[in-house]
Amino acid sequence: MALTEARNALKSNDGDKIIGSVAMSVTLVSFGMLFLTLMMAFALYRFTAPVWPPAGMERPSLLIPSISTFLIALSSYIFINFQKNIEKGTADKRSLLFVLILGLGFMASQFMFWNQLKSHGIYASSGIFPSIIYSFTWIHAAHIVAALGLMAWLYGSLNTPDKLTAVKVSSIGKFWHFLGIVWLIMFVTIFVL
Amino acid sequence: MAFFEQEIHDAPTTFLSKYVFSFDHKVIAKQFLWYGIAFLGIGGMMALLIRWTLAFPGEPFPVIGHILFPGNGGVVPPDTYAMLFTLHGTIMIFFAITPILIGAFGNYCIPLMIGARDMVFPTLNMLSFWLAMLSAVLLLASLFTPLGGAAGGWTSYPTLSTLIGSAGIGQTLWCLSLFVLGVSSTMGAVNYIATIITLRAPGMGYFDMPLTIWGLWLTAILNAIFLPVLGAGLLLLTFDRVFGTTFFLAGAAATSGSGDPVLFQHVFWIFGHPEVYILILPAWGIVSDLLSFFARKPAFGAKATALSMTAITILSTLVYGHHMYSTQMSPLLTQSFMMLTMTISIPSAVFFANWLGTLWKGSIRFDTPMLFSLGVVFVFGLGGLTGLYLATVSTDLYLHDTYFVVGHFHYTMAASVLLGGFAGTYFWFPKMFGRMMNERLGKIHFWISMVGLNGIFMGMMVIGHAGMHRRIYNPFVYEFLQNLIPLNMFITISALTMGAAQIVFVYNFIHSMYKGPIASQNPWEVGTLEWTIPSPAPHYNFKDIPVVRCGPHEYGNPNLVGKDFQYQTEELVKA
Repeated sequence: MALTEARNALKSNDGDKIIGSVAMSVTLVSFGMLFLTLMMAFALYRFTAPVWPPAGMERPSLLIPSISTFLIALSSYIFINFQKNIEKGTADKRSLLFVLILGLGFMASQFMFWNQLKSHGIYASSGIFPSIIYSFTWIHAAHIVAALGLMAWLYGSLNTPDKLTAVKVSSIGKFWHFLGIVWLIMFVTIFVL
Repeated sequence: MAFFEQEIHDAPTTFLSKYVFSFDHKVIAKQFLWYGIAFLGIGGMMALLIRWTLAFPGEPFPVIGHILFPGNGGVVPPDTYAMLFTLHGTIMIFFAITPILIGAFGNYCIPLMIGARDMVFPTLNMLSFWLAMLSAVLLLASLFTPLGGAAGGWTSYPTLSTLIGSAGIGQTLWCLSLFVLGVSSTMGAVNYIATIITLRAPGMGYFDMPLTIWGLWLTAILNAIFLPVLGAGLLLLTFDRVFGTTFFLAGAAATSGSGDPVLFQHVFWIFGHPEVYILILPAWGIVSDLLSFFARKPAFGAKATALSMTAITILSTLVYGHHMYSTQMSPLLTQSFMMLTMTISIPSAVFFANWLGTLWKGSIRFDTPMLFSLGVVFVFGLGGLTGLYLATVSTDLYLHDTYFVVGHFHYTMAASVLLGGFAGTYFWFPKMFGRMMNERLGKIHFWISMVGLNGIFMGMMVIGHAGMHRRIYNPFVYEFLQNLIPLNMFITISALTMGAAQIVFVYNFIHSMYKGPIASQNPWEVGTLEWTIPSPAPHYNFKDIPVVRCGPHEYGNPNLVGKDFQYQTEELVKA
């Protein structure tokens, strides 16, 4: 490759986008493996138990987990539109604020769910099924809190947009959608099936 | 090719920004190097305490025994012995070898060898180091808790590691420490992978990368994929210990429903077997390069070596079950795992043969880095071959949990990796510090270490084959093992010899930093990119991003005049 051509390629503006994409993809593979391991553990307990839920435990009500699912799905949908508008240059900050509020709503629904379990006398130490429910939702919620923190930071940085803004939106969006997909899988496998 | 050119930042001026909270990959590499060397000393001291106990049961440890164990007459107590072998393994693997091979060499070599000015995410890099420090604090803090540190073995199998087997907070801190270290290493892995993909100098295709970078890249990929698996297991184990969940408690221990202690073994080894390659791939890469550099010959079959390392990386993810043959797994599974494990021999043999091909008829320069590289060829050969007995179900069932296993994995994970680490340290020291290490002391260090480590690990395989179990405080209460006392004394004397050799290294390292002869830009006459810049490397690495025009192993080209190597920035000389 000629030297000039190489230098021009080095100054390409696509660099940040590609770096962001590579780094977030690797990060999501790592997070994916964490949740995959948890789901593998769940599958092992689920398929080796003679009855499920074990030890006569009743399944928790689907109402609050369903609300959580609705909130996180809606927030992902709004984020997708927000991201499209960012690329077009017509984004409205209020969309991101709405995503943040829905995310906080998701967290509130999780607290309500944990309280509901406690009120029925179901604690993390009550057996393998409650252990799974509490632990997996705790771990997922910790990631949600991190994502909400990132979104709050993104919201603040929208006041002074720069060439990295689109990369930030894209990367945080990928993380948020990933957490939505993980929740959906947990909802279907742990609560519904 | 590179996607963008990083800007040259001003040099840091304050002590804190230059040496403590530095964003410079070279400074972070040195921080990891010091961190690793410090833990190498701590873990090595623990090894000597273990070895003393096995060679001279009931005898007080010399000099410091009465200070460490005043209540037991200077003799290592049984519960402390369990803690020592747990923490020796943990420290050596996660806090010594990992920071040196991956943290130090990864940070130092990747940007310099691919022609970049720094890692792609310098802040993430700094955070990665400080998280590793936090992890070290958590682990060391566990030693000062009322019931002491973790004592469930470095694998921490339940129920040894649950509250039933290990009361107290020590084991919990162990879990948290490793979890934090996992986060730190994953951050490093993301940084390494993204840097190698996006910041390679123009003209540097993947097969133009030095094999050191191949090794570090594959290691980073394995780290990114498999560390979270261990992370999940550690989280669940922590929840069992702190919140009373029942993931790894079975039967009556679980109040209702049932956990599964063996699940932790699965999770641990899904991570644990790739971990072997996580540790050894950087050493393989370094050795593959150094053999070519010091044999003054192109690396024989360099592409095949890179592809073999890739094949081993992929296969390493499919063989973890060979650690668990004795857990009553289905014979169909054991045979599958045995076959897959044996399959690793094929790419291993390819790159091992390539090493020998590189050496064949080379104009070998026996400088200290080369001696250590040749040492890796020898000990890895032994370690690899003895692995075949453990991959085979029938022999493994006899050898499982004996000292044969300890000898085998120390040959592969300790001897090979440490020697590879020393090779890299002696080789890049001039670029790191701008001075040369003393060659004579380096050679003394090498030969005493080689004699010592072979005495230790060969001896371990013999006593293991004779039936000595790996986790017994005093094996000689069993009559059939009493005739192994002299051999255990020989192993311990070998360990003390090897320990003494490291004093030579530490002296050489520290003395050379300040008083060693000034290093030239390219003291080893090597063509990779880091040797095109001054020694020590300036804070911005490359004033102009280099353009790569040939591979990293261009030696002995008959068309060259006046020298026997080419820089990667030079057009390949043709007739």
